[in-house]
Amino acid sequence: MRRASLMLLGWLCGTLVAWGAYLERQPSAGVAPDERTLPPGAQPAAASPADFAYPYYGNTPPEMIPFREIEPHARYWIERLPFRGPGHDYPDPPDLKSLRVGLLSPAAYGPEGARGQRTRHGVLLAFEEANARRGPGQLPFELVEREDSPLWGSAANIAVEFADEQVLGFLGTIDGDATHVALRVALKIETYMINTSDPDPTLTETQIPWLTRVFPDDRQQGFRLADLVVRQHQCQRIVVFRESSRPGRVGVMHFVNYIRRLGVPPVQHLFFKPGDQQISTQLEAIKAANPDAVLFYGQPEDVGRFAAQFRAAGITARFFGFDRLMEEGFQTHAGPAAEGTTITYFFDLNRTDPPWVDFTARFEKRFGVKPDIYAAYGYDGANLMMEAIDHAGPNRFRIRDYLANLDEWSGVTGPMKFDGRWDNIAPFAIAKFREGQWHFEPPSAQPHSTGPLSRN
Amino acid sequence: MNTHPSRPPLPSRGLALALILLAGAPTQAAAEPAPDLPFPVIERFENFGPDHGIPASKVHAVLKTTDAELWIGTWDGLCRREPSGNFRRFGPEHGLSHKMVLCLAEDQQTGDLWVGTMRGLNRVSAGRITAYTQTDSGLPNNVIYGVAVSGDRVWVATAAGAGELQLKTGTWKIYDHNNSLMHEPWCYAVTEAGDKIMIGVWGGGIVEHDPRLGSFKEHRDPDRDFHFDLVPDDGPINDITSWLAWENGVLWQCTYFGMSRYDGRNWKTWVEGKSPLLSNFTQFVWAHRGVAWIGMDRGLSVTDGITWVNYLVDDNDQGIQQIHRPNQPVEIKPMPTALANQFVLGLQVDDEEAWIATSKGLSRGILAAPTKLTRLSEATPDQRNQ
Repeated sequence: MRRASLMLLGWLCGTLVAWGAYLERQPSAGVAPDERTLPPGAQPAAASPADFAYPYYGNTPPEMIPFREIEPHARYWIERLPFRGPGHDYPDPPDLKSLRVGLLSPAAYGPEGARGQRTRHGVLLAFEEANARRGPGQLPFELVEREDSPLWGSAANIAVEFADEQVLGFLGTIDGDATHVALRVALKIETYMINTSDPDPTLTETQIPWLTRVFPDDRQQGFRLADLVVRQHQCQRIVVFRESSRPGRVGVMHFVNYIRRLGVPPVQHLFFKPGDQQISTQLEAIKAANPDAVLFYGQPEDVGRFAAQFRAAGITARFFGFDRLMEEGFQTHAGPAAEGTTITYFFDLNRTDPPWVDFTARFEKRFGVKPDIYAAYGYDGANLMMEAIDHAGPNRFRIRDYLANLDEWSGVTGPMKFDGRWDNIAPFAIAKFREGQWHFEPPSAQPHSTGPLSRN
Repeated sequence: MNTHPSRPPLPSRGLALALILLAGAPTQAAAEPAPDLPFPVIERFENFGPDHGIPASKVHAVLKTTDAELWIGTWDGLCRREPSGNFRRFGPEHGLSHKMVLCLAEDQQTGDLWVGTMRGLNRVSAGRITAYTQTDSGLPNNVIYGVAVSGDRVWVATAAGAGELQLKTGTWKIYDHNNSLMHEPWCYAVTEAGDKIMIGVWGGGIVEHDPRLGSFKEHRDPDRDFHFDLVPDDGPINDITSWLAWENGVLWQCTYFGMSRYDGRNWKTWVEGKSPLLSNFTQFVWAHRGVAWIGMDRGLSVTDGITWVNYLVDDNDQGIQQIHRPNQPVEIKPMPTALANQFVLGLQVDDEEAWIATSKGLSRGILAAPTKLTRLSEATPDQRNQ
């Protein structure tokens, strides 16, 4: 008894001292000492790609990865972040009359409006076909459409409207800013987003496990272009000429880093404003740099106009660019200057495999024009979302599980392979403009591409 | 599944019991306070949900005001705890601008409550709700991720910049990529930091604003890359700030890539697997007496930067307490009750108790020894002598 009392007194004194210290404590001014209390053997060893569950750094070739000789303190996206919240066992919403999916489109009058309409047509076709296939007892799919406005944050408000409309998931959009803010809302409303058209590499770097992107991003194009410009064409004096905008900045960001890591930093990196006509200052600087390669990033009409001005000024460098230069506006504005331009592109539009041929025929029959990649990825994204709903039922959390755990999927755009950030890392093709036409080259082999991903 | 070998595993209920029996300690002793810890531990949890009038599973925010009123922001309305212990709901039908409440703040001078929702900011004052939206005020955007009161100004973090409402004049200022250091105006947290305002920017790290000077200073992850953290303790762990808390010169930053602490001179960072931090996906931090209470997708971590106590929920819904002391083996104990859910979205802690908002209900953490000792410390000398 006495011993027990002494023990109790000792415990009480110890607790009093500890609690007193806690009450009196002030935050220390210096750095706290290392608090690690790891069991023996837990120190990190140098990691190799074989240790990773998913391709590191968006499948970037090892020689283009930053700090590649150093084991970083922490790596991300070598495994997928799980969602640990509740909801998988929540009952289905009562009295459902349809299975609702949101579609966030860019403003029709904005710079991405026409592409947004093409995406919308692909999505509409997917919904019409899916609903035509519904059997007895199956609820129809319903598309809840909203159009963004070119104001920062507008897409956030629209994503909240999707929650109010009780959609089971949503699709969208092209503009990186809008997709970013909608994604953050997606985390709060716990509703999955499939992105079908935003090339912003930073979109999926936000670590929000409520997004799959079926549209291969500008990082993928960046390392393919870097390989093409520096290794295949042995260019040494590379100029980057890009739109002064957020898409322009994040679009070429990785290309610039990649060529620098290959030992060939850009000799000039200059900007233009969308719609600029007069670029004499930049032109003089670029001419003085005596480039052997120019990489363009911007709207195809702008780039076409500048390509023509470059040639007229006597610049003989090879022209390179991203996928958008395949749009008609580039060759229309470039004229003969388009000849020889080389770009990265998602896949060969002249593919003859049945899924692509059948899709193009159905799309042309429905809308009177051939589909482009926005329509095709919109169609695939919509079908993937509807597949997830059919598989998981009308439960947003189980839909998330289905989509976020997907490693591969195949649509009319070809086989997709998703990495640890839920990005489609299917390799890019190359297209060259010769004699008034684009000619495709198949994707080259890439590291970590363990499955057959060629679309040609 | 995201696992790391260095994280102490969660024992199953049976294994935990066996460990305790082997150690010769009774189950009751499992949740007793550890006397050498420099901050209080939670002894057990009381949980609140639909049976107590909470209208939705998801509780985004919790706030105990200076007059001890308890408010919570939920998926389906704002709620106040009544004397009966049950919660009373206020929704759009009462004037709230949207049912989904994300954040709460008290104006300690007036007692007003500021309520951030998915569609607008609301002021609860003298029993009335006044709504501010993007279209009828100077609010930058309707989605309000964070709200803070600093003197006679209310600050909001929105999807399109930070907003400052001057209460004396009713005028607004917006801070975004056009007039501050934010290169992207996606703001997700705002907190008063002495004379300054700290703004958590999604992709822009932390922007420190001095309203007296009108100046801005940026804190960014020096490696500027999201695929890794190159060096620990060199700055914010990541530029995507999900929440901020400031107390007595110390700033705590939540990100989805780990946790950071800044004392005005030096940074300290923690990541899952290389520290006792339960998960990199940190969503909320509350600072109290130099101790950070960190809510994440895998439970609750409490630390002064040296010692850690973690609260988890295992697969059998058993509450687990992990104690990490410097250079000692991890101590793992079962708890008599568990957090309502491991997905922690909001917190408020004082010397009496801890309130925890989760994705499936509200929890009250009953502090073990500190409750008694706080009373002792607050007692008058006469009371102490009795």
